[in-house]
Amino acid sequence: MPSSQSPSIAGTAVDPTSLRPPLDDAEIVRIAPGELLAKLTALRAEGFSMLLDLGGVDYLGREPRFDVVYHLLALPARAATVAEVGTPRRLRLLVGVPAEGPELPSATGLWPSADWAEREIFDLFGIVFTGHPDLRRIQMPYDWTGHPLRKDYPLRGPAREATPRPPFALKSNVPAGTPPSGKVAAALQKQIARARGQAADGETS
Amino acid sequence: MDVVERSGNTMTLSMGPQHPSTHGVLQVIVEVSGEIVEKAEMEIGYLHTGIEKSAENLFWTQAGTVIERMDYLNPLGNAMCYMLAAEKLLGITDRIPERAQDIRILLCELSRIASHCVWLGTAGIDLGAISTFFYSFDVREDILDLIELSGGARMHPNYLRIGGVNGDLPAGFLDRLDALIAKFPRRMRELRTLLQNNPILRDRMIDVGTISPEQALAWNLTGPALRGSGIAYDVRKAFPYGGYERYAFDVPTRVEGDAYARFLVRLDEMDEAMRIVTQVRKALDRPGPIMVDDPKIAQPPKETIALSMEALIHHFKIVSESFRVPPGDVYQAIESPRGELGYYLVSDGNNRPYRVRTRPPSLYNLQALKAMAPGNLIADIVVMIGSLDPVFGEVDR
Repeated sequence: MPSSQSPSIAGTAVDPTSLRPPLDDAEIVRIAPGELLAKLTALRAEGFSMLLDLGGVDYLGREPRFDVVYHLLALPARAATVAEVGTPRRLRLLVGVPAEGPELPSATGLWPSADWAEREIFDLFGIVFTGHPDLRRIQMPYDWTGHPLRKDYPLRGPAREATPRPPFALKSNVPAGTPPSGKVAAALQKQIARARGQAADGETS
Repeated sequence: MDVVERSGNTMTLSMGPQHPSTHGVLQVIVEVSGEIVEKAEMEIGYLHTGIEKSAENLFWTQAGTVIERMDYLNPLGNAMCYMLAAEKLLGITDRIPERAQDIRILLCELSRIASHCVWLGTAGIDLGAISTFFYSFDVREDILDLIELSGGARMHPNYLRIGGVNGDLPAGFLDRLDALIAKFPRRMRELRTLLQNNPILRDRMIDVGTISPEQALAWNLTGPALRGSGIAYDVRKAFPYGGYERYAFDVPTRVEGDAYARFLVRLDEMDEAMRIVTQVRKALDRPGPIMVDDPKIAQPPKETIALSMEALIHHFKIVSESFRVPPGDVYQAIESPRGELGYYLVSDGNNRPYRVRTRPPSLYNLQALKAMAPGNLIADIVVMIGSLDPVFGEVDR
């Protein structure tokens, strides 16, 4: 697998979104983080009924460093036939987020579906969504350090090994402070404690 | 199921993460009052393998191999979506040969049937209808044989390429496809007889996990789950891609919005997919090129490599350093068996994708269980998960 280690063959563009060829995949709007919630509220009222997806991009070396990309779709709620659906409007909202104190308002109040997507961006990029009801890691274990989809997080190599993979049992849903009830829950707690102990041993040795 | 907590009138239970009827590694934390679900929370991420990160560190030509592994029931659909997005950035969308498009559509529709076969079999098992599994896997087996013939592997053939497909269909493929087309209607009749009007199945599914059209939109449902709530949104019709505009098919919908409606939509979709396959079969009689005519993107024909130095160098260059893709970002969606599958690709002008963001339909469909589950019986959680058809390779990526 030499591919990921070999140097790139071309110079890299710092902001590819400004260089994009004319493609008609969506209407594109770029706004500042401060205007985000007002803009989303307006778009929701305008008929963009679905927040199809939101994802992050890390443009390391650019200012602002991150982009959070909202994909919206204007689908009518009473569209029982293909003709009524037609070709709904697609809109892409790009929001630049600075490297220092990356923070955005949460869209969960407008679209409940934003919940897991925002947790994923928080988990993998470290961008905080203020007003999110339950912002915690979703894909990585809860005690993971670092945000894997950032460009300065290595795929492999010595630096990657600096954050060792914790034991599987650590990703458990039993909250740390909850007193265990029942035999199985007690066993689960014991398993977690044992795994944590092993992890601590592994780091010291 | 493990009891996590008892308080007041409710009890919190933990289902999974290894429960076989959760269709993968999913943990559901349900708060129940008696047998009624008050709240359902889910824990995902057990299958997280960092596919997006891996893809960003591979060449444009290599990334398809890991991308196929996201939705392992529809690998060709994932590959097709990625290839279409990359082709848009390269500006070669209009130059893809018709035969290559037809082969892609054929394989995608066959994958849709195979994927729905798995859903039908496993959803049947969830409800105790074990024999359905064997009937539906018989059809799936035939389809996997065809996919093996085309690309050399049953599950992840890596057969689609940016610019077309890797080699023409082999001799004997069309005969086996004809045999499948001839056999399919009878198989579907059998499956429908087994299940559709089965009183036990109807009792378990009707009015279970009901979701209104407004709720379905707010929770971002797509695919059969959205069409089961009466909204006829199908990416193949709304934003035609890759040659689908040439083929006639209907978009089945139901208005009830319950698990049974989603079940019927998927059954009808299998028939519609076969309708497209039958039309594509006729078009495949005409020979033609299967790769875009662009030496920057297409590898030279294998026969020429042993004979010509230039062809050998050309082949080596594409394999060892891929090609550059002009800078820009693009969003491309397709209709996967589970809903709108989208890729948001960013290229910085290099020979590797800068960012590969997937819009995973399974993730959003599964998330809607939080809205669906309250008020239902705890025994029906499994029915609801089955009716959403999540694939955890895609939920966790």
